Parts: sequence; structure tokens; C-alpha cells
Amino acid sequence: MPRIARERDRVLRRSARATGLTASVTSLAYLAVPGGLDAPVILFAATLILLMIGCQYVLGQSGALRWVLCIVLLGNAVILVIGLATRVDVGLNAVEEALIGTLAAAAVSCVAPVLVVGPQRQLVLFGSFGVTVAGVALVTITAGGSVLPLALTVCGWAALSLGGWWIAQSVPRVLQRVAAIGRAHQAERHASELEAQRRQGARLLHDTVLATLTLLAHSGVGVSPAALRQQSGDDARLLRQLRLGALPTPARSGVYTLEPANTSMLGSTLESVKQRFGRMGLEVDWHGSGQVLLPSDVLDSFLLALGECLENVRRHSGVTRADVTISDDDTTVRAMVTDAGRGFDLSAVGTERLGFAESVVARLRDVGGNARLFSSPGSGTTVVLEVPK
Amino acid sequence: MTTGAPPTPAAAPPAGGSSSARAHRQLLEEQRDERRRTFRRPQRTVDTTRANRTGLGSRHLGFGISMSGGFVALFLLWRFAMQWDRYPNPLPTLAAWIVLLLATVATLVLVNRLPDRMPTWLFLAALAAGEVVVGLDLAGYGHTGAVGTYPTAAAAVGALFAVLVSVRRGREIVAATLVLGAVIAAGSVSAARTDPEVVALAVLTIGLCMFPPLLGVSIVRGFRRMVQRELDLVLVQSTISQPSSAVGMLASEELARIDLDAETLLDDVATGRTALPLSPAKSAAAASLATQLRLHLIEGRRETWLHHALTESEFLGPAVNLDDPAGLAGQLSPMQRDALLLAIWLLISDTEGAEPTVSLVFGPFGRTHGHVIGEMLRFPIKMIIEGVPRRRVDPETWQAIRVVGPHIDSVRSGQLHVDIECSIDNPADA
Repeated sequence: MPRIARERDRVLRRSARATGLTASVTSLAYLAVPGGLDAPVILFAATLILLMIGCQYVLGQSGALRWVLCIVLLGNAVILVIGLATRVDVGLNAVEEALIGTLAAAAVSCVAPVLVVGPQRQLVLFGSFGVTVAGVALVTITAGGSVLPLALTVCGWAALSLGGWWIAQSVPRVLQRVAAIGRAHQAERHASELEAQRRQGARLLHDTVLATLTLLAHSGVGVSPAALRQQSGDDARLLRQLRLGALPTPARSGVYTLEPANTSMLGSTLESVKQRFGRMGLEVDWHGSGQVLLPSDVLDSFLLALGECLENVRRHSGVTRADVTISDDDTTVRAMVTDAGRGFDLSAVGTERLGFAESVVARLRDVGGNARLFSSPGSGTTVVLEVPK
Repeated sequence: MTTGAPPTPAAAPPAGGSSSARAHRQLLEEQRDERRRTFRRPQRTVDTTRANRTGLGSRHLGFGISMSGGFVALFLLWRFAMQWDRYPNPLPTLAAWIVLLLATVATLVLVNRLPDRMPTWLFLAALAAGEVVVGLDLAGYGHTGAVGTYPTAAAAVGALFAVLVSVRRGREIVAATLVLGAVIAAGSVSAARTDPEVVALAVLTIGLCMFPPLLGVSIVRGFRRMVQRELDLVLVQSTISQPSSAVGMLASEELARIDLDAETLLDDVATGRTALPLSPAKSAAAASLATQLRLHLIEGRRETWLHHALTESEFLGPAVNLDDPAGLAGQLSPMQRDALLLAIWLLISDTEGAEPTVSLVFGPFGRTHGHVIGEMLRFPIKMIIEGVPRRRVDPETWQAIRVVGPHIDSVRSGQLHVDIECSIDNPADA
């Protein structure tokens, strides 16, 4: 709430300053009209108006009451000097009338917008209005001029007071609407976050998509077009389901469950990995236990890491066969991926370059697991993956 | 915004040499421009804002400005009544007033009926009505016989323009008003009134005609700027209720886009729309999609609420440098977050003209051993503010900073340094 009041006051102050400065500059222009006023009066009035411009500028910054009082006093002083210095026999001439009118109706009344809020300030508003009207009435009556400056004064004060009051109502109104938008947006942010989590959570799906995309990035070389089409079709359908709000988990090749399972059987999912690589030309032989129950997030990470390893074998080893041995004890499930390919020198090729650290180790570490890599040129590669049960 | 380089001491202006200080300023300037250029709001944010646009327009304000203009018109009408006897033929001017009155009423009604923005044809119709009024009025007063009369209805057209300030662009209103002022000035000169005193009354008339629309434009402009800033703040304020780290709206949309692109590509392959083997361009697209997807799926792509707040804010983003490698901002309580965001916002939004820069450095923890259960964790937040002198900092800003934590402030080589000692609940105790 205090910020709303603060913004409102700022808008009002700025309006006051814009009005006051424009009017004061116009008043200075009147002084330049030849033959309108006597030289000493012009000098005196110009000085006071310049002072008033200073006050109006500061009022736009602070909105303090002392600047309001300075402006009212200075403005009325100029009005009185001009009105009382005129020759009584002729009365106010047109320049004097216009000048007094402009000063009273805009240059002084510019304080009105900053005085519309709060009973104390409203009191000052009425006081300032009264003083100004009295000043203008005094000079017009003593000089016997027309009522033009007086009418202008009343209209100017009415315009600026009511205009200011209306602005003071507009600002809280619009800020409340803005706050409502903020609340609506909070819900949007929440929804967006959930959406991101859902998509990031579909790791198994993204893993097969990534594998297929990587194949496509190599123009699908080494895989039969029919198999690649089949795989692309499956993945596109999964992505479509994900887009439409489901959380598809590929459980087995060709058959997809839409329900996220809390725990999954390792064996049936391993089969789908095997089939996927079989299509791409890498024969995977499974050994060991196929009936391990793992929490779904651990299973996801495990399968992702395993898939990455097999993808590396397929691309780099130069052989078309890999062995995967699954073993488990009370606390840990272990997979050993072995190939008899060309192997490489671990110290010559940093693990970072293999994408190994990022794609395999990071995924396993997320769920408390680990990975180790053994290889030397000419004698194949072995990767051991471990995840907790 | 998060930057790779820590803002201090590398980015602090060196004590000696104005040329290096200038280079430093230029660097900040370039950073700011770069962030401005690349700024983009999340689509969801744009949609929410657009759906709620009605009422954010300054229509309510516009009515107030019209009312103010109405008082000026009232004065001119009174003046017309006063000089009725002096017209050789008052009828054209009377007709002008009637046309003006009808045009104003019609405009007011339409402005309040129409959505958001006034259509151009209607705006042109209003301008044409103004032309007719000016023509009629000046025809009535332009004769040599009409001594002592001044344009009234023509000047009151300014009030008609003031009605339009909230529904058309400011520069259109300004242009129309300047033309109107010029026509009335030309009319006054052509009436061969060389009497210098009468020039004053011509100036008064022109002033009365131009004041309402021009002031109205300036008020509406300031008001719209305020609404824009306020909107920017509330849109990023929603980040304070985020968990300690989150994906963020931009990254979320990015991931959805990549998924969709991948789906399209795979679908094209599956259905045979894209022939196998792939063309080099298509396979390059697949490779880049795979890379982007990998990047988005790696854990640790999450950022703190403050990072999201700064990247999604049009005002804060360019002006704030954030250095928070440990993501400590995420540990702040919602109250501390709100206060910190408000403090930054107040520091930046309160200035006119000058563009201040705020650098935030979080941490490191002062003491990491000997933790007692239930004890609060403490870390410092260093705030370095450039371009805002200490006396110009609002009391509300200090109050907000106090909510974040006890602080010490000092001025060093023209920068305001605020060191906040921040206490948070130990996440290990939770």
C-alpha cells in the first residue's frame, strides 16, 4: 500500500511541475511583449518568476509543503506588484490582464495537484486558492479592470484541483489491477515450472529421443531406413503424448504405458533397450539377473546411463556386439558393459571429451550411483555402472 | 543478470586514471545495451498481461484530463458570451461552439465504448471536426470590424484533443495541437492586430488552446511509464515464492519448443516427408536439437529465483549484475526475497535520466565448521550501487534492506557500498 501512495504522489508531483513550468515560462514571454509593462516592474517580476520556476522544479522532486507555500507567496507577490504598479487612470492593460490571469490560473495553481490528498493538504489547497483569488480580486478591483483574470483564475484552479484529484483516484485503481495481474501471473509461473519438471522428468523418453536424434545427426548411416523410420515414429508419438499432458514411459518396445510407475521391473525395460540397439545394428547380449525392482527415478538414470554406454560402443568400438552383465546384492545393482572393440587410451582421451562425465556419471550421481571406465587400445572397453537399490 | 566475471573487484572502477574509469563505464554501458537488445519475456507472461490489458489503459485517467480541459473550455465559452456584442456576426462562432460541443460529446461516448485504442478513421474524424470548428470561429472573428474579439471555440478545440490523449499516441496529439496552435497564431496575425498589447491576449488564447492537450500527453506518458514499471515488478515478484532453485519460465518454454521441434523432425522422418538418408542441413538440425535437448536435461540447469527475476525483468535485467555462484539467493526466506527485490527495484526505478547499476555479490559463508543445530546460517550480501548518491536513496529502500538483514553502508570512490549480513535457517535442520 505505501508504494501505491508513493507512485500516486509521484505522478501528481510531476503533473504539478509540468503545469507550473509551462505556465511560468509563458509568463516570462508576456514580460517580453514591448510596451506592456514598465522596466522596473519587468525586472522585479522576472526575478520572482525565475525564483518561482526554481520552486516548481523542486516541488516536482519532493512535493514538500514549503515549496507549495513559496510558490503561492511568490506568485501572489508578482500579481500584487503588477496590479498595484499599474497607472490607476488607465486600468489594467491587456498584457497585465493576461499575465495576472496566467500566473494565478496556472503558475500558482500548479500546486493544486499535490494538495488533493489528505485533509491537511486539502486545507492548504483551499487556503492557497483563497489567497490567490483575493489577490487577483484586489488588483482587478483597485485598477478597475475586467473580470477576465478572475474568471481565468477560478477556472484554472478548478481544472487543476479536480484533475489532480481524479489522477489521485486513477493511480491506486490501476495499481490494484496490476497487482491482480501479478497474482494471475504467479499461477502461470507455477504451471510453467510444473510443465518443465514434467518434461525433465520424462528422462527415459528423452533418452530414446536423443539416441534417435543422434542417429539422424549422422544422417542415419549404418541403420536400415525402415528401422529408423519405425524408431522415429515411436519417438514422435511419445513426444506427442508428452506434449498433450501425459507422462509416457516406454516400458517395452512398441507398447507404452501412460502411467508413471513408482517401481519398475528392470528386466522388461532392459528388453526395450536391447531391441532399440538391435535395430541400430548393435547386438546386445544380456547376462545375469533380469528381475530387479528399482525405484523409477533410479531406474531411469540407470537405463539412461546404460543407453549412453551402448551408444558409445556402437559408435566408437568398431564391433557390432556388446555384453551387458547385470548383478545385484543387498544394496547395489551393477551393470558391466563390455565390448571387444578397438578400445582407447584413457589418459590420451579425457573422459570429458567422451561426454562420459556429463551423460553417464552425472546421471548416476543424481541417484547416488557411480560409474567406472576401463580401457586400453586394442583390448576393448569395460564400463561398470552402479546404482543403489 | 548473472555474469561470468564477478563484478568486484574486477568491475569496480579503479581508483586512479579517468580513462580506465571511462572504459569501465563504457563496459557497463555495453553490457546494458546488450541485455536490452536480447531481452525477451516468456510467452506465458505476455499472454497473461495481454488478457488483462483492459483497465490498464489510462481511460480512467483520460476522463480526468478531459474534465480539466472542460474547465478551460468553460472559460472560453464565458469569454465568447462576454464578447457576443462585439462580433459583427456572432453566428459562425456560435455554430462553431455547437459543432464543438457535439463532437466532444460524441468523442467522449465513443472513447468509453470502444476497446483499448481509438481507430484511426475516428481519430481523423475528430480532427476534421476540430478543423470545422476552427474554420467557423476564425471566419467569425477575422473581420476588421470585430475589434476586441478573440478566438474562443477554436482555442477550445484543444480541450477536444485533450479527450483523445488516453486513446491515441502522444506524438499524434502533440502534432495535431501544434498545427492547431499555428493556425490560431496565423489567424491572429492575419487579423492585422499589430497592437502589442493585443499580442498578449493572442498568446493567452494560444496558451489556453495548447495547455490541456500537451499537459495531458505528458501526464499520460508518465502514467503509462509508471504502469509499465509496476507491471514489470509484479511480474517478476512472482519468483519469490519459487523453491530455492527452479527451471524458470524461459527455460521451460525453450524445452517445450525443442521437444516440439524434435517431434516434428521425427514425425517427418517416420512418415517419409523427409527422405532418408538425411540431407546435410537436416542432419545438422538434428544434431543441434540433440545438443540443446541434452543441455536442457542436465541436472543443475536450475537457477535461483533472483536470476529468474532479473532475466525476466525489462527494468532490472539491464541494470543489475548478479554474482551468486553458490545459489545462496535461493536460501532466502520469501520475506527476505521480497524485500531484496523491492530494494533493488526502488534503487533503480527512483532515478530520472541517470542509469544506475547495482552489483550483488552473495556469500561466501564466513564460517563453515562447528555448526550447532538450530543456529542460523550467516552469509554476507554485498551490494554496490553506482549512479545513486546516498542522499537520494529512499527511506523505504533502507527499510527493505533491513528486512533482508542488518547492514552497514559506506561510500567509496563514488559508489555506495551496502554490506548486508544475512541470516537464514539452516537447510540441514529442516
